[in-house]
Amino acid sequence: MTNALDREAVPDPHNPLGFDGIEYIEFATSKPQALGGVLERMGFRPIARHRSREVELYRQGAMNIIVNAQAADVPRTVQPTERPVISAFAVRVRDADAAFRRARELGAWEIPVRARAMELNIPAIHGVGESLIYFVDRYDEFSIYDVDFLAIPTVDQHPPALGGLHFFGIVQYVGADRTADWVAFYSQIFGFAPLPDSVRFGILPRGLLLQSPCRSFYLQLIEPDEVARYAPAEEHLQRIGLGTPDVLATVAILQKRGIEFLVSEKVHASERGALTTASLGSVMFELVHDEPVPAAAPR
Amino acid sequence: MIFSDFGMDTASLAGALEVKLAAVRRAGFAQVMIAASDVVGHPSGVDAGVRAVRESGLRVTGLEMLRDFEGLDGRLHAYKVDVAKSMLEVCGRLGGRRLLVEASTSTHAEADANAIARDLRMLAILAIPLGIRIAYKGMSWSRTAKDFSAAGEIVFRANCPNLGLAIDAFDVLASGVALDDLDAIDPEQIFLVQLSDYMWQDVRSTEEQTATATHFRVFPGEGAHSDGLADFITKLDAIGYCGDYSFDVYNDDYLQMPPETVAARAQRAAEWLGETVLRRALPIPNMERLRPAAPG
Repeated sequence: MTNALDREAVPDPHNPLGFDGIEYIEFATSKPQALGGVLERMGFRPIARHRSREVELYRQGAMNIIVNAQAADVPRTVQPTERPVISAFAVRVRDADAAFRRARELGAWEIPVRARAMELNIPAIHGVGESLIYFVDRYDEFSIYDVDFLAIPTVDQHPPALGGLHFFGIVQYVGADRTADWVAFYSQIFGFAPLPDSVRFGILPRGLLLQSPCRSFYLQLIEPDEVARYAPAEEHLQRIGLGTPDVLATVAILQKRGIEFLVSEKVHASERGALTTASLGSVMFELVHDEPVPAAAPR
Repeated sequence: MIFSDFGMDTASLAGALEVKLAAVRRAGFAQVMIAASDVVGHPSGVDAGVRAVRESGLRVTGLEMLRDFEGLDGRLHAYKVDVAKSMLEVCGRLGGRRLLVEASTSTHAEADANAIARDLRMLAILAIPLGIRIAYKGMSWSRTAKDFSAAGEIVFRANCPNLGLAIDAFDVLASGVALDDLDAIDPEQIFLVQLSDYMWQDVRSTEEQTATATHFRVFPGEGAHSDGLADFITKLDAIGYCGDYSFDVYNDDYLQMPPETVAARAQRAAEWLGETVLRRALPIPNMERLRPAAPG
């Protein structure tokens, strides 16, 4: 049976899902206003609220951040606490349902459908720790936020990005000797490819870098160092990496807004990158020298 | 190889889970392989079973046994995936880092190597977020992998870092798999070695092998193949294996004996291995009486 909505398969074997960057990154916290304050100092603006859940949407430039304060209703997902944690990220793909089904067949854990009446069902799988990975395919003509979110009146829905900031990557802490496992997971399910050790971004040289098949987004897998090797540690998404064409200029802008950057013998702001100090006990951002992503090619 | 490398298996013991764990602990073991039925069949429920294991102070060698998983189609495949996910979740809750998987004996399983490898890769990917490794074990009466060599080829083909082998000494002793076949195995790919012996010299038919494997095993040092077991462990040591050894002793008689008595036999087995095989694996003079026969 043919369906008018069936799309032609794209032949790129390196990008089986039509991976096209990150739609949003989600934090879970029981103190959404406190996290909102940090996000606003980083240049994000609250622009919309979820219709039925305690969820807010922050935006700057092409970046969307979801702040979720809703109690978790699915096992093995983040229960919001005072310390914000990165609880999910959403990948843009050609066909979310097809990507989700393919991921399941390859060994991903699906989460049960949670949408209520008139809400979008965004398919998701379990990621590292208690985090989730969503598949989103509506990001061109109309967006997922048009359905589930109510715009905050009088607020600019498209606030510009400070210093050309854009999503660059996520740092994931993994257990001892677990890098190879996670490389297998992300390469099998999404088509991420490990980069050689000679390729480095930013100022923190540790860990293994995985590049998305669309080459605009990176995951950095970091194992515990020698001392922490034998201490039990939860695997988790630790921080967001933001790209900017001029790190030092962006650092100056953010410092004026009250963001502090780490200064130590090993780590300090440079043309290559910078690392913020932790806010609310856990929220850090890493700036990385990177030219802005060119506008997506028409599909 | 040290005493803490050896562990018992709850399937060797009779009684309530707490009683089994206490017996294992009292016999001096630091780790235990958990039969899933012991946890999910706990009279006070799964939570109580999980708590008993976590509070025992014993390290969980792994959870057993996922059977007949690979090579199935359609509804059967989907059903087995659900079973596997449930076992992975229980394993994760126990703090276990290994799920033991026996090569399929199902007549519904197809023997196509690519299909089997694909299914095992899927299982391994399912296990990654939970931090669990899949130890795949060949068995002589399996349709998909009859011994560790065949299982090793499938693991190689599936190519997932958390998918490796469980090697059972019974394979070598009863099926007569050549020890030198171990030379082709990457020791990093061996996730677990299981040790047991049995009383008779020979097992002639497949039926007899199945019955022996599931009902008449004894602890190392108690059976008729002590030399063969010693050779097996020495060989593993020589190829560089330095992981855990689990006593997979399934014996109907032991299930009619007090668990303390059976655990004491396991303790003697660990001591026997430590005093004979272990020392022989080290270059200690005047300890050559159990030197393995020249390969051939």
